[in-house]
Amino acid sequence: MPKDDPVYLNSRREAILILTVWACCVIYTVGYCYWNGYLSHESGPNTTGPALGAMVGTLESLNRDPESLTTPLGLGIPDWVFWGICMPWLFCIVFTFWFCLCYFKTDDLGPEMESPEEEVQSDA
Amino acid sequence: MHETSTVTIVTFVVYIIFVFVLAGLSHRLLKKKSFLSEYFLGSRGLGSWALAFTFAATSSSGGSFSGFPSLIYSHGWILALWIASYMIFPLTTMGVLGKRVNQAARKSGAITIPDVFRDRYESPSLGIFASCTIIFFTICNLVAQFKAGALIVEEVFNFPVSWGYPVALVVFSVTVIFYTAYGGFRAVVWTDVLQGIVMGIGVVILVPVVLYQAGGLEKVQKALRDQDPRLITSMPGSFNDLVLEASDARHPQRLVYVHPQQSSAELALEWDDSEEGASGTLEVRLATDASGELISTANDVKAAIEAHSELGRLLQISFPFDNSEVVEGPDGRVVDRGATGIVRMPAGVDRKKFAFIRGDEALFGPGRRGNGDPFLPLGLAFSFFFVWAIAGIGQPGTMVRLMAFKDSRTLKRSILTVTIYYALIYLPLIFVFVAARNLLPPLNAENSDKAMVLVSTRVVADLGVGFQVLGAIFVAAPFAAVMSTVDSFLLMISSGFVRDIYQRSINPKVSPRTIKIASYTTTVVVGLIVMAFASSPPDFLQRIIVFTSSGFASTYLFPMLLGLYWKGMTRCGALWSMVGGFLIIVILFSPNLVGGSRISLFGIDPVVWGLSGSLFLAVVVSKLTGPAPAHLVRKYFHAQ
Repeated sequence: MPKDDPVYLNSRREAILILTVWACCVIYTVGYCYWNGYLSHESGPNTTGPALGAMVGTLESLNRDPESLTTPLGLGIPDWVFWGICMPWLFCIVFTFWFCLCYFKTDDLGPEMESPEEEVQSDA
Repeated sequence: MHETSTVTIVTFVVYIIFVFVLAGLSHRLLKKKSFLSEYFLGSRGLGSWALAFTFAATSSSGGSFSGFPSLIYSHGWILALWIASYMIFPLTTMGVLGKRVNQAARKSGAITIPDVFRDRYESPSLGIFASCTIIFFTICNLVAQFKAGALIVEEVFNFPVSWGYPVALVVFSVTVIFYTAYGGFRAVVWTDVLQGIVMGIGVVILVPVVLYQAGGLEKVQKALRDQDPRLITSMPGSFNDLVLEASDARHPQRLVYVHPQQSSAELALEWDDSEEGASGTLEVRLATDASGELISTANDVKAAIEAHSELGRLLQISFPFDNSEVVEGPDGRVVDRGATGIVRMPAGVDRKKFAFIRGDEALFGPGRRGNGDPFLPLGLAFSFFFVWAIAGIGQPGTMVRLMAFKDSRTLKRSILTVTIYYALIYLPLIFVFVAARNLLPPLNAENSDKAMVLVSTRVVADLGVGFQVLGAIFVAAPFAAVMSTVDSFLLMISSGFVRDIYQRSINPKVSPRTIKIASYTTTVVVGLIVMAFASSPPDFLQRIIVFTSSGFASTYLFPMLLGLYWKGMTRCGALWSMVGGFLIIVILFSPNLVGGSRISLFGIDPVVWGLSGSLFLAVVVSKLTGPAPAHLVRKYFHAQ
């Protein structure tokens, strides 16, 4: 059984982790912001689409009361943006540093090969 | 209308001269290296900074510095969710395919994306299909980008309306075609680095300046929350727009205008105030001169509305721009000071329904469009994580940059650089343009595109000469962003014709001299053809850009991704995946051709369906037609 190319193995391992973190970001960010940052959650055809709306039902109980808005740490950023977007963004920056400095393999990508047409040109 | 300052024009001209110098330097390198590889790929020698900034600049088009600020100004904080996938964008778009696509290109000596497909699957037909679809999507996109570039030049130089657009189009086209054709890939990359560094520094300075002017974000939030319900849109005119606001908390439920036809020159305003049971129509007859040109002023319309017994009671009318400004007529003649501009509604828009948007709606989701529909419902919020972070992996313009870096260490440093860069650009832009709602006059949807220009010229430039240069940079920023997209797309088309179709499919023994002449000529000719199309472009530019980026992703992402990560991927699987993704996008976007909206099944963006269909076909067809040839598996998956 021939050995797999280490660049292929390392890249696959890295890609799986990246896509897993992407999925976590989607679920957390969209979920948190929809839950805490939307004034209206009507499940009509113009909001979630008719079929999705029919599945999730009426979500009006989640509607955010504008008076409840806070701005954490006095930064002036609405609470749902701060916790739903700024914090995961910060996490992603930290994660990217860890990923690049500790997890990413600096593989040798191999020599540059010439395509058949360029070989013809070189010969000429 | 704003007056472009001399500082802005000088900064703009200096930038263009600098771009030409970079093209000249780049051209000198072309003489020293293998022409094709250098012209289309920079000899696969990009360093960390070059890769990072060319990647960042190519990923952001003019929309990043005009459309995005405009959306923030109009809809508020919900844009943070709209753009949120950029938190992971550098990792997905560079990290998932980076090393593998670079390695595959090295193994086969590939210079273009179709080259990679052709060699990975040993299928000339796949390479040709990829080339043809890249050329198709890219030309569509370029028409839109050329128009965007020309509009910015027209705005910066304040060209008169009568001949401004054609001249601006020629200025933009000649600039971008010349430096791209002359300098090739490396000139494009160096220009991107220049633009990226300037923009990054600019945004970092812009944030404290604007927030200080606005009194801080906390004060902005309070002002937004306390804002009375009011109409924040208006009737656009050529010179002075009319802003229509509710006169108190009560306001018309619906307001529609019918723009004047040259034949009747009538402006009709219909309204419906359901709470009061009042409704009706006000017709304002607009005067025309002997040649049929409208000569009525915005003041005339304002006076007619205010004189009306019911509509005048419901609405307050004002002008979004400073009334003390000098206003020029279409012939360049100074008409008067103040709101005397000629009313001219946008062509092709027959009826416009206005929505009433409360100030505090800018603090929350889902936001509201001009017609009252939600701006970012759940389905779309979810879709945008695909549209940016996943669809971005499959863009040929970004994939070709991943073929061009020097080594893995370069890729690693570039991912870190782009991550920091995006965090410094996109989140701060949200802070700036939310604050701009308190600093600028109310702008309607059409004019909100000027938000970046107005912040630059009215908020920043007022602080002194140094800040005027900073303001000028931001006026020129959308132009530079459009240029960085256009130049890389021009090279993609040129490489498609010269490398993929001519050299690899028609005449493999073509001489280096012929290749060189063909490359220069094709870049110039394609640029001129696109310029001709852009002289009378369709109005729905943003739709074209969304269509092409969705098409790119749905057509190329999975044939490339699975081709590099799945040993079982076959030539038939790749072909079906490519054709299927292409057709799904074309079908779902086809209503756009007749002015309709794209088909978003179950509220999900077409790109999600395109990607899903392409993935499904790739897996099923590969399973049915497998296994993949052993020698290809050996070449691309086994240690050599």
